[in-house]
Amino acid sequence: MVFPSRTKRKILAAARMVAALALAGGIYTLIAPGAQASQGLSAAAEEGKALYETSCISCHGNNGQGVSGRGPSLIGVGSAAVEFQVETGRMPAAKQEAQIERKPPAFDSDQARQIAEYVQSLGGGPQVPFPGNDAPEGNISEGGQLFRVNCSSCHAFSAGGGALSSGKYAPPMTGSTDRQLYAAMLTGPQNMPVFGDNQLTPQQKFDIIAYVQNMKSDVDPGGWGLGRFGPVTEGIAIFLFGMVVLIFTALWIAGKS
Amino acid sequence: MTTRFEEVRRGALEKDGVEIVHYEPQFPPGSKSERRMVRVVSLIFLLSGLFAFAFVAVYIWWPFTDFPSVKGWEYEPGSSWMKGYTPVLGLTLGLALCLLALGVLTWGKKLLPHEIALQDRHDGGSPPDERRLTGQTLVFVGEELGLNRRPLLKVALLAPIGGVALAAAAVPVGMLIKNPHKPNDLLFETGWSPALNGGNPVRLMHEDGKPIRPEDVSVGGQITAFPMTKDGLGATNKHADSPILLIHLRQDDAELLRANTVHQPKNIGGMYGNLVAYSKICTHAGCPASLYEQQTNKLLCPCHQSQFLITDNAKPVFGPATRRLPMLPLGIDGEGYLVGLNDFNGVPVGPAFWEKPEA
Repeated sequence: MVFPSRTKRKILAAARMVAALALAGGIYTLIAPGAQASQGLSAAAEEGKALYETSCISCHGNNGQGVSGRGPSLIGVGSAAVEFQVETGRMPAAKQEAQIERKPPAFDSDQARQIAEYVQSLGGGPQVPFPGNDAPEGNISEGGQLFRVNCSSCHAFSAGGGALSSGKYAPPMTGSTDRQLYAAMLTGPQNMPVFGDNQLTPQQKFDIIAYVQNMKSDVDPGGWGLGRFGPVTEGIAIFLFGMVVLIFTALWIAGKS
Repeated sequence: MTTRFEEVRRGALEKDGVEIVHYEPQFPPGSKSERRMVRVVSLIFLLSGLFAFAFVAVYIWWPFTDFPSVKGWEYEPGSSWMKGYTPVLGLTLGLALCLLALGVLTWGKKLLPHEIALQDRHDGGSPPDERRLTGQTLVFVGEELGLNRRPLLKVALLAPIGGVALAAAAVPVGMLIKNPHKPNDLLFETGWSPALNGGNPVRLMHEDGKPIRPEDVSVGGQITAFPMTKDGLGATNKHADSPILLIHLRQDDAELLRANTVHQPKNIGGMYGNLVAYSKICTHAGCPASLYEQQTNKLLCPCHQSQFLITDNAKPVFGPATRRLPMLPLGIDGEGYLVGLNDFNGVPVGPAFWEKPEA
């Protein structure tokens, strides 16, 4: 009897798995009552649908219509919103809380885009207008101007974020890709206001992205940015540290030798 | 022959009544421990000098920019030697100064002798003859000025005294006389007043002067808008009390607000579709309340954490603010641009003042 090599066995197992999945999927589409929903889906959207049905369906419903008390409707939210939420790990959410936080994503960005494609097919909505992760070039100084007008009140001048009401906060932009920044502006995730294309044109969004990425690529003067929150943390740090040093110095000077 | 120390001690006692009761060097002169302490202090001074020289060297030779790099003198983000320039300057000069202070302090604390000196306080007042002499001096100076003998000077002096007093009183008294409610009622009138615009409602505009159409704000979005006043200064400090936050509410939230306006009758009909505009000036201390949470419909002020509930006529729900943000009634003009219909319905914007009506 010939034992197939390890690799061969793995490949065979994978092939069997794919075949079984395809068969199961095929039978499902034939007999499922909502078969019309999957009509005309692109290949990516089909993949996305499969992912959706394992990870999203319990809160957002079998056709993205939402489940009352658990998750909102996804009809019309568009692919940009899905990409942002899934790629940054906010979705699938671990639990309901004041703010759903960024965490290591459950899906890679290809899978995120497949799910996004599927949700896009449910009812349209805003889409990120460029392929890939990198936005077209923007004007950094224009972006700085726009950032200070539109973004800095919540995200602070240095994109370090800041507090909102009742435990919510504007997150720092560390780790955000161009695509995520664009999707966030376009869709207004969670409590962020929406900045549609009438409000900030795509070019203005590229400018803001260029500014944010430029700012993020810089090092902190002195080596420690203290979260880049700005004068409050810096003031507290220098006050506490400086006061301790000054008090002990004064004690030493005045102490008897 | 008396030593110099004896001379100083006797002098202090005789001239100033200072008695040195205890005087003792910390180390026997020339002893091993004294020489060691001298070496320590010298080392500190030496280090201080070294850091001072390092400061100068860094100031001159540290690569201050990336020049000559590909981009010339342009600032480059990211890590490079130039980013260390300021911290290293601060570190070297700071250490030089700190070590100098440390050296001087160590010298004083470790090398100078211990000394206890006593001096009696003066008791009571000065002797009678000294007091009398002082009094006589003052009276004599007064007589020599000769005001009684030279009456013209006396009268002439009244002019500067009266003038300066008047000048000092002018500002505080003047502030009580000037009426902020006349001729224009500054406290009740902003750039949105149609009266200042030839009787026409004032258009909303972006910071750059572009007028705003209703569809320019996305659902769940907000824009800071300024009055398009006749003088063209709507987005400047001249109309610093006029900025508004124009918010496009979601259908449900808009209906909730429309229903809630009955509690605040001045706001009834103030929305345009699902658009609503509130003064951006916080009613607590006048900061721009611009942190808009689009899900909870709260508007936050970053200065003192006041929160206003947009869907309930911008009622303050948290923080030090106690008054609602006034709503600017919205309409649309013949060309399809948004206009402010009535100057916040006469509700004054911003923080309280004495005669501000309850709002």
